Amino acid sequence: MTRFRLGSLSLEGRLLAASCLLAILVAGVFVAFILALSSLRKATREETQAKNVTTAALQLENLVLDADNALRTYVLTRRPRVLAPYYSAKKQLPLRLSKLQHLVAKDPAQARRVTELSTEIQDYRVTFAEAVLVIAKESFPAARSATKTEGNRRVADIRMRFAELLRSENARTVDRSESASDRSQRATAIGVAGLSASTVLIILFGLYLARSIAHPVRAAAAGATRFAEGDLSTRLEESGPGEVGELERAFNEMAERLARARRELEAQNTQLRESERLKTELVNTVSHELRTPLASVLGFTSILLSREFGAETRRHYLGIVDAQARRLSSLIDDFLDVRRIEQGRFELAYELLDLGALLQEESELYRGQSGKHRLELAVPPDPLPVRGDPDRLRQVIGNLLSNAIKYSPDGGIVELAAERDGDAVRIQVRDEGVGIPVKQQPGIFTKFFRGDMAGSGIGGTGLGLAVSRDIVESHGGRIGFTSAEGEGTTFWLELPGANGVGGDSPQGEQAQES
Amino acid sequence: MRKAFNTKPQMKDEKLILICEDEPTLRELIRASLNGAYEFAEARDGFDALGLARELTPDAVVLDLMLPRKSGFEVLAELREDERLRSIPVLVMTAWSDMLDDALAAGADAFISKPFDPDDLKIAVDELLAGQ
Repeated sequence: MTRFRLGSLSLEGRLLAASCLLAILVAGVFVAFILALSSLRKATREETQAKNVTTAALQLENLVLDADNALRTYVLTRRPRVLAPYYSAKKQLPLRLSKLQHLVAKDPAQARRVTELSTEIQDYRVTFAEAVLVIAKESFPAARSATKTEGNRRVADIRMRFAELLRSENARTVDRSESASDRSQRATAIGVAGLSASTVLIILFGLYLARSIAHPVRAAAAGATRFAEGDLSTRLEESGPGEVGELERAFNEMAERLARARRELEAQNTQLRESERLKTELVNTVSHELRTPLASVLGFTSILLSREFGAETRRHYLGIVDAQARRLSSLIDDFLDVRRIEQGRFELAYELLDLGALLQEESELYRGQSGKHRLELAVPPDPLPVRGDPDRLRQVIGNLLSNAIKYSPDGGIVELAAERDGDAVRIQVRDEGVGIPVKQQPGIFTKFFRGDMAGSGIGGTGLGLAVSRDIVESHGGRIGFTSAEGEGTTFWLELPGANGVGGDSPQGEQAQES
Repeated sequence: MRKAFNTKPQMKDEKLILICEDEPTLRELIRASLNGAYEFAEARDGFDALGLARELTPDAVVLDLMLPRKSGFEVLAELREDERLRSIPVLVMTAWSDMLDDALAAGADAFISKPFDPDDLKIAVDELLAGQ
């Protein structure tokens, strides 16, 4: 229960409480020692007092006895000279009595005894001694007889009272000094016990400080050092008390945040490196892609300029120059498209157009480009009206067809098909080429992604499909593919049909979109 | 130059040049550049190139470094390892002029960068054949 209560206190509170407890304990020890000391002093004082009372009482008694003795000697010897002690005692008596009375004033019982004694002594002096002196002037034998009878009785009485006074004073002294000694011993014992307890507590307090503060703080410092040296997985055990525990929690939180921030930075870094790599690859691709057609253009132009050829050959070479120059131009268009897409300036000029006719035109264009491939077109006889940018759609179809030809280097059938699919129009371009390895399929629409094709000798910028997807999606359509490595690839795309314009709309009708 | 060359005693009537280039128009350009003065064999990729080299033992090889299936560097290395083909002069061509040192270190005898001047190519090939 104490632990629980301690645990809920802050470290500051705990230290304060412990310090206060120790201070109170030490103060208690001091008080006990002071009490013991004052008890001892009081006992000494009382002893001295008792000694003084005894001395005063004995002196008084001697005085009275001296006086009585002088009186008796006088009545026996009849010489007035021997009365000197009597008169001296008579003179001193009031002072001695008052001194004794003063000494016992604080003790009512003794004061009463002294008062009685004083009365007795006065009585002895006034009613007996003075009377005896008067009688002695008349008759010494009578005075002598009085001293023997009356005098003896009175002196015995006085002595008895003195004895009683001394006895009771003595008894009281013994009593008091015993109790004072007891108190002093008790106080000393308490003081010693308190002192031992404070010593033990101070040691325990020190141990507690070491265990609960120094150890965790050292552990935190070691953790911080490890952390600073780069071990971001460093965490502290959150077991310290109060503020130290808060420090540990704060450290762990900070460590967690830093580690997270670094993970994020690393992820960003990886992304940046990837984009940097893609850019480098792009520069390589661009320069390679541009250089190949450029080499043809420059080389054939140079040959044509410097050498003589027959008309046929010259035409052939010029045809190559023309085709390669166009290839250059379309490459540059691709790069510009990418820039437009990236800058969000990709604008489409929408028209109502017949997709069937567009496919027809494109297939004618590509049919002449490869002798090894058989291009088959399958479109329904009815028009396929869609709303779109004819140049951009031509670009997409052209790209898919050129890919199909490019990636089936051994020739084969390339099929271009279109069909109505509900409200939409679905187009497919199928080839019997090398296909796309499963591993590379996820990246196929990524800009500058060329898979293993970069070193394959099959040219390309890695832009065609990225641009195509952008165009199709801008038209509100979708593009996708199925492929099996070594068997071929089928790209498909779906475009929303133009609503309200059915199959009966006149073929070739085109409406300019404002 | 070609005349002086032709006066030398020859094993074959015409020198055989193996052209290794994946781009068809460039193969044609190379042929046209060399002015049809030689016999030509053509390979579209690295595999074909090595196969044809072993089969025909050409007098010189014009080798593009960026070839499908097997790069020009690999082709060059294998040619240099082959006892019979080791001494065939090889002219490498690439769009990457910074590959010059690597290509020469790998055993190329001459280097031409794309785009190239047809006359330069012809001179380079003629020199290779003359130095044989």
